[in-house]
Amino acid sequence: MEIPHRVFSALGDPTRLEVLTTLASGGPATATEIAARMPITRQAVAKHLAALDAAGLVSRSPAGREVRYQFDAAPLEDLGRWAADTADTWDTRLQRLRKSVE
Amino acid sequence: MVALILRAMSNEPNGEVAIEREVELMASPEKIWERITDSSMISEWMGGDVEIEPRPGGRITFSPEGGPGVWGTVEEVVEHERIQWSWRTDEGRPSLIEFELSPAEDGTIVIVRETLLPWRISGPDGFTEWPEASAWSSSALNAA
Repeated sequence: MEIPHRVFSALGDPTRLEVLTTLASGGPATATEIAARMPITRQAVAKHLAALDAAGLVSRSPAGREVRYQFDAAPLEDLGRWAADTADTWDTRLQRLRKSVE
Repeated sequence: MVALILRAMSNEPNGEVAIEREVELMASPEKIWERITDSSMISEWMGGDVEIEPRPGGRITFSPEGGPGVWGTVEEVVEHERIQWSWRTDEGRPSLIEFELSPAEDGTIVIVRETLLPWRISGPDGFTEWPEASAWSSSALNAA
């Protein structure tokens, strides 16, 4: 499975993660609207949104002179599938290891 | 699901994604260690042929049944306690595998953790990129 590294670096910053969770829970918003809800400047929000956009975690639509951003869960669903598949695989292996030692 | 993953990521210092499994096996750490670090024994339960050199810098290859080949490097070894290796398929993301064994009352607690790694990993000389799969595979074959 292919998971772009940008998804990880995009989520590695706590403030950026907060921008994303704000979008995920509060619905689509512009940089100005997000900045009004968080203790950071509009410019800082715009920088985080650009990184989230590069990772495919948000989609954009025009909103007058601004851009409205919407949370896109697809890259995270890929991660969820990876986690579920990987957990299943190790459960199977550990069962076989148990049989071989007990 | 999304909320769960976000939470898991925010708890990890580097936004890492990892899964962890813990089991108690009714066998000694020494016996389990042998099952993990002996190529013919680990091949019996991993689900495909494994070649492992259980020393730091040692090579590891895995040919899972019905899947692409996996190759990588053993990172850390503490006999009977802990072994780590990183590996990847030609196309897939690298991941770090960690086994931890600790004695319990009647047996051994085995913890296995798999963590997705960034494409660039830190090596002894600082940050290094993963070598090309083809280059690595041919050198592994030559060494075998």
